Amino acid sequence: MENTALYQERFNRIKKAINLEPVDRVPVVYMGTAFTARYTGITMAEYCKNPNASYQAQLKTMEKLGEMDGANMAGGGRITPLLSAMWMSKLAVPGKDLPPDSLWQVQEAEVLTKEDYDTILEKGWGKFVKSYLPRVISMWEFLPAMMWLKTNTKRIQKEYKKRSYVVICDSSAMPTVPFEALCGGRSMSQFFFDLYRTPDKVEAVMDVILEETLAAIDEVKPATGINGTWVGGWRGASSLVAPKLWDRFVWPYYLKIVEALVAKGVTPVMHWDQDWSRDVERLKELPAKKCILNPDGMTDMVKFKKLVGDHMAMMGDIPASLLAAGTPEDVHSYVRDQVELFEGKGLILCPGCDAPINAKPENMEAFVEAAHKYGTM
Amino acid sequence: MSEQLKKALSDLEEEAALKLVQERLDASDDPMVILAACREGMSEVGERYEANEYYVSDLLMAGEIFKQAVAMIGTNFKTDGGPKRGTVVVGTVQGDIHDIGKDIVVSLLQAGNYNVIDLGVDVPPAKFVDAVRESGAAVVGLSGLLTIAFDAMKDTVDALSAAGLRSNVKVMLGGGSVTEQVREFAGADALGDDAQAAVSLCNQWI
Repeated sequence: MENTALYQERFNRIKKAINLEPVDRVPVVYMGTAFTARYTGITMAEYCKNPNASYQAQLKTMEKLGEMDGANMAGGGRITPLLSAMWMSKLAVPGKDLPPDSLWQVQEAEVLTKEDYDTILEKGWGKFVKSYLPRVISMWEFLPAMMWLKTNTKRIQKEYKKRSYVVICDSSAMPTVPFEALCGGRSMSQFFFDLYRTPDKVEAVMDVILEETLAAIDEVKPATGINGTWVGGWRGASSLVAPKLWDRFVWPYYLKIVEALVAKGVTPVMHWDQDWSRDVERLKELPAKKCILNPDGMTDMVKFKKLVGDHMAMMGDIPASLLAAGTPEDVHSYVRDQVELFEGKGLILCPGCDAPINAKPENMEAFVEAAHKYGTM
Repeated sequence: MSEQLKKALSDLEEEAALKLVQERLDASDDPMVILAACREGMSEVGERYEANEYYVSDLLMAGEIFKQAVAMIGTNFKTDGGPKRGTVVVGTVQGDIHDIGKDIVVSLLQAGNYNVIDLGVDVPPAKFVDAVRESGAAVVGLSGLLTIAFDAMKDTVDALSAAGLRSNVKVMLGGGSVTEQVREFAGADALGDDAQAAVSLCNQWI
């Protein structure tokens, strides 16, 4: 039975963290995909194939790990079709292309061609994507997966709420910035070459994508809950992209998308993998206390706290390598240091990116335990 | 003209750099001298990267220009560019198919005049062992982006030990999530925070 008071307590705790207000305890939330399967004893193939398995396993994992306030993202649906669409790339899928218990992997290849830029400029992004996706995933697989999500997302969110778990990224909006979509489709090397060789054309294509993305955000309906959405970034990271390119092809697009989301009452969760330290101060340009930075352990948190800590919250950033190769004591130290750095404010503890497939169960359990031990104010 | 070529390459001016290479080939300049200028340009790129003036996108672009220049020079002379500093075996370990970081390392090592044996991605430990045994390489570079690569890195180092080759080679690790903890776990000699670090390590070891 739903415990409304407990849900509300957790909800308020997370809301306060986003608003940079004092909390009774630093919120601790779950983020994991492949680890979820391993921890609950189902194969990756089953996890990828059965749309119910991922959320059922996630709920089971959260209950087993210890008391958590909620999840960065809810499970549910088939992850590999989603990743294919997000990366505009083919995926090697466990049980199909890989042994049943191995991790899915994006296949780096130039699928989106230079000529496709002209098609996007001529026909628009949405129409192009419809004709492009069959190159990376079978529509017999993709369309039912999307339909399943459309008809089941609300039911799944209720399952989380029934257990008093708050889902942070619960919004229907889920924009991909043009840089990441194009980079995935073109392959990183080819796309980076395009930025040097044909910058004006790439920018024109990005503007077409942005215009359609903003129009889609404008259609987002008001919602309750945290109303957060994943705004991902991985290859647009500061450590990868030269400043003059970053200033032109990465940041302006984030800025416009985030401003549009905030105007619709959505909380952008900047799920930024890789190292964004060089440009972390630019986050101050985003609306104050309306967004969350969600890094993976590679971005300099001391710098973030110093420059942006009074402007936006951080959700993270327990590194995958620590969870896989460290000890419970290492995890305790890391959590303690983060709580001390943030002085308990504007912090939501969460595995960085997501808990890796080979995270040690004792480390994940230590993460939750440490969050309670050091996070209680 | 060597200075001009070096500058064009290090400033990532692709058209200008390749045009200069072609002009010098047309003028029957010594291909070795042209190649040396390109290498100096790449060396400058590495220095700018270490000084945080350049980033990975710049390294990729520089590597692309260098590759094209070498291909143009290569069609004009029969040698492989003269004696190498040493041999390095590089590959992405078993279970991981990511190759971007590895490819940058390969390109920088080649520009640094190393003979690089690139084993590709998803490379089983035995393949590393065979390559080291056959080539007598002094350094092995193990790359991996995913955390599942940690076990494979350890397996590869263990396989080199089991084959009696470990004392002959230095092993360096690279990849997004590799830390000192992982280096220790895998039993490697060093880890590189970035692609340029691989070149510095090899310069130090060979």
